[in-house]
Amino acid sequence: MKYTITHRTLYHYSSGVALCHNEARLLPRQTLWQRCQPSRVAIKPRPALSAEREDFFGNRVLYFAIQDIHQRLEVKIVTDVEVLDTRPFNETSSSPPWQQVRRTLREDPDPEIIEARLFELDSRFVTLDPSFREYAQPSFSPGRPLLEAVADLNRRIFREFTYDPHFTTVATPLNEVLSQRRGVCQDFAHLAIACLRGLGLAARYVSGYLETLPPPGRPRLIGADASHAWLAVYVPGAGWAEFDPTNDCMPQERHVTLAWGRDYGDVAPLTGVMTGGGSHSLDVSVDVAPQP
Amino acid sequence: MIEASVAYQDYSSPPGDTLLADYPVPDSGYDEMCSAPGVLRPHWRDLAKTLEEIGGEELERRHNEVQRLLQADGVTYNTYDDPHGSPRLWLVDNIPLLMTGDEWSTLAAGLEQRSRLLNALLADLYGPRLTIRQGWLPPELVFAHPGFLPPCHGSLPEGRRWLIFHGVDLARGPDGAFRVHGDRTQSPSGAGYTLENRILLARALPMIYRDAPLRRLASFLETERATLAGLARHNPESPHVVLLTPGPNSPVYFEHAYLANYLSLSLVEGEDLVVRDGRVWLKTLGGLRPVDVILRRVADDFCDPLELRGDSLLGVPGLLQAVRGGHVALANALGSGIVENPGLVVFLPLLCRQLLGEALKLPSLPTWWCGDSSQQSHVLNHLDRLVVRSILPNGPCWEGARLDRATRAQLIERIQAAPHLFVGQESLPLSTAPVLEEGRLVPRPVMLRGFVVAEDDGYRVMPGGLARVSSGLDTLQAALQKGGISKDWWVLAPTPQRHVSLLRQAYGPIVVTRDGSDLPSRVADNLFWLGRYGERLDSTARLLREAFGRLLEWEQDNTDERCLDDLLDALEIPVPPVAESPRARFFTLRQQLLNLILDSEHPGSMQALFAGMLRTGRAVRNHLGDDSWRLLNRLQHSIQEPPSGLGARQARELLEEELMLMAAFCGLNNETMPHHQGWLFFDIGRYLERVLRTLELFNLAFITARNPGLPLWEVVLTITDNLTAYRRRYRSALHPTAIIDLLLFDTDNPRAVGYQLRRLQRNIGRLHRPDSSPYRNAEERLILEAFTTLQLADIEALSTLTHDSTSSSAELTRLLEAIHKPLRGLSDALTHSHFSHAEVPRQLIIMQP
Repeated sequence: MKYTITHRTLYHYSSGVALCHNEARLLPRQTLWQRCQPSRVAIKPRPALSAEREDFFGNRVLYFAIQDIHQRLEVKIVTDVEVLDTRPFNETSSSPPWQQVRRTLREDPDPEIIEARLFELDSRFVTLDPSFREYAQPSFSPGRPLLEAVADLNRRIFREFTYDPHFTTVATPLNEVLSQRRGVCQDFAHLAIACLRGLGLAARYVSGYLETLPPPGRPRLIGADASHAWLAVYVPGAGWAEFDPTNDCMPQERHVTLAWGRDYGDVAPLTGVMTGGGSHSLDVSVDVAPQP
Repeated sequence: MIEASVAYQDYSSPPGDTLLADYPVPDSGYDEMCSAPGVLRPHWRDLAKTLEEIGGEELERRHNEVQRLLQADGVTYNTYDDPHGSPRLWLVDNIPLLMTGDEWSTLAAGLEQRSRLLNALLADLYGPRLTIRQGWLPPELVFAHPGFLPPCHGSLPEGRRWLIFHGVDLARGPDGAFRVHGDRTQSPSGAGYTLENRILLARALPMIYRDAPLRRLASFLETERATLAGLARHNPESPHVVLLTPGPNSPVYFEHAYLANYLSLSLVEGEDLVVRDGRVWLKTLGGLRPVDVILRRVADDFCDPLELRGDSLLGVPGLLQAVRGGHVALANALGSGIVENPGLVVFLPLLCRQLLGEALKLPSLPTWWCGDSSQQSHVLNHLDRLVVRSILPNGPCWEGARLDRATRAQLIERIQAAPHLFVGQESLPLSTAPVLEEGRLVPRPVMLRGFVVAEDDGYRVMPGGLARVSSGLDTLQAALQKGGISKDWWVLAPTPQRHVSLLRQAYGPIVVTRDGSDLPSRVADNLFWLGRYGERLDSTARLLREAFGRLLEWEQDNTDERCLDDLLDALEIPVPPVAESPRARFFTLRQQLLNLILDSEHPGSMQALFAGMLRTGRAVRNHLGDDSWRLLNRLQHSIQEPPSGLGARQARELLEEELMLMAAFCGLNNETMPHHQGWLFFDIGRYLERVLRTLELFNLAFITARNPGLPLWEVVLTITDNLTAYRRRYRSALHPTAIIDLLLFDTDNPRAVGYQLRRLQRNIGRLHRPDSSPYRNAEERLILEAFTTLQLADIEALSTLTHDSTSSSAELTRLLEAIHKPLRGLSDALTHSHFSHAEVPRQLIIMQP
């Protein structure tokens, strides 16, 4: 599938910002199944300085600094992306039993496998707690193939949790999400990651977009899409298998990848530090427009 | 090794009376001075002889001398846990720890190799990560440690070194061999204290130090300076190097100020710096000044709120990006804290072979990492002999042998839940060295901190370092916070060495600068407030002194106490009802006045005002002369540690003493500080505060007085210390018109509003102005308005004050208000023009889980 993705972020400040430094992780990364045309970046006011680099996880980071006093900051990034149906895993992929995967992770001297162990460890938003493993346990019966078990966990989160954009914020602790059984895509991805890490598996957080289909017979609404998040679990020697607990599916052509990391903290779309500004209001609009 | 026996007959004192004969050498373990009871190690012979000659009593006296010098210099170590934040004194033992040159050379070779190894390891961990990918280092050990900062990956431009400064904690075990107990790689502290110890001890014990064949420290510090300068990409001739400190609340702030001074660096805090155009700049009164090199004493994750800890107020947003651009160099590079991880030492022998192709020369304390299952079982099986440590920064530690059953079970559970976060370390007894206690030498366990600095392609080791009395469990920081004792560590040289101080040398071509426009805005701000707090303290002390005086007089003759009510008004103390018995009233008043001296919760108390003075004073530590600093320390002693059971009379005496110290402090600043921008702000702060206080006093005496008249006028003259001046000038009874002339219009009397306004106007006019606009700025307009109002005042209209004329009184009220009004806006105007850095950067999105 081909898409034109438009991601626009608009900040209004109650008083002038004299200086700001920002980092945007809004440039989609290239993968074996995703080709990106050069992004068109429009930042207003014009940054005095901007630079792109690749971070520790291989994501594309756009740094920019604005040195003129401003009360409004607009970051608009438009990218043409082609997503192929060549992701390494789908619902019918076979995989070794999950305990064997855990053993391989610990013992295999393959450099790629060793490095994947980073995603087994606690991170800022996902910290060890026995309750996550307990929640995961029913899906992980002994000897069950890894992907089958994760798909089951994925489905349970989809069925047992309520999607509620008003319940959580970035600061809501994960065990509250678990006990209240509600949250948004980011929470569900974090929860699934916590469950997998609690079992000694390696899991990472993926940020991106999902093409939303309009109800039958209705036109597509422009700009009504949103950022999305899901997760991937590591299958040693074979790669990362993606799961979307918010939609009970394995991402394929309609999931566009932006960046990945240990959790949301590694891939927040736009961060910054500013001097001045007072209070601010934020308006984000995302449009995932299919192209012929 | 040849041993020398201490033959008692060598000394004139009878056995049992000599320092050394009484030295109780421990039965087991390694003693630095003696190989057996009464048997000196050869390299201690000369020192031992000198110590004997000096004698225990004299050594004790010198010891007190050193402590006095330290206190006078304000060598302190702050503790965070102390609610009052009063810093603890640095304690120094005056018996040095000796090491032979040969022994040191071996140790130094080990330290140099260790620095090279850790630098290579950092370059790998933030680069290709071969050590992990090849399986030499387990990924959990690195990735689970908060010192590993992914944003620092690849952040250092080609050719830069990660490790510039390296601090190593060392101790000798019972076998006499050195082992490393820990590495400090973010911002190793202690070199400044080492230097201060050396200088002070040399001053207090010249007979020991003058001709001692010991390796000097100055050339090591010269290397530090040269290495820092060499890191600059721009301005190789005169690079701008700053020392970034977390500020006066840092436990080791003294050292930051001391080193900045010794190495001629600007002492700055995070808010003094800003990143613009990809470079780091220092905000000064004269505008932005580029910074080339940062010696940073702020922890890694606090250095950049954009990419590292977002809640940090100590850092500089965008710093890491500026580092990537190569325009600024940091010592040490951001991210270097990962190699402080105590679990790494397990893998150092292998890493040394792999990364350097060498065998590790200097062993570490035997350590087992619980992330490895066989090492974990070793730790759990030998818990009684080991110390268990969390690998996290400042993590807890447990002495296995001392655990009760329940704690032990809990610890085992914790280890098993996250084994990769724990290590077990052998608990080796440390070597002992002689420490002077009550005129006797006693053996105490010691740890050393060695220092290494990058030089050319390799590393250079300080010949000596900091020794401290320690059980081996505590870190340097923890030990000092508990009030540890430090020692000077000598490395012996074959011949006496010349004494060199960096302070007496000039480095290459120097740019002569006088105007002080490169003063950081924050420093100017603090000097301004130092002046204001100081003056407020002074005027409060004067009012209090007078109030106590009146209180005592009233107690004696029970006559005229009316002025006291007006003084209470001035001090904002509610006047107690008259109905009370005189005795009860006396005690109530005395208590309320004493509260103004002693109660730190009361915002107007001497305690609170001095706290403000001390806070601002510490923030500008290196802009005050040493003598001013000593006075501030004495003032602190007097104000913060008043004698208990203070009565009215003693309170008055105490205030008397504090007024003298205040006068000395301000006078000394006038005599010592160059009258450039920094001093101008100090002076403007003082005189702004003084003129506001004088106007209030006027208001009290002539407008709002409860008991107007002669006695109150006398009080006003006494408080301003102008009674004598009045008598000399007028030789007559007090007359309000004359008082008004003396204290309001006189432009030559420092206690008069006229003088104060003229001085403010002159000094405000001399302040550096970033823009070259021909128009007056706000503060110039305000002071002009105040001064002109005074000069244009109708003196005739005030002349009838004595006759209870309402018109005169109204005229004075109007005049005082017209002068007061512009002055109220002056402080804000100055802040806006000169200290407007005050706004703190904030995060766009709060990213706290």
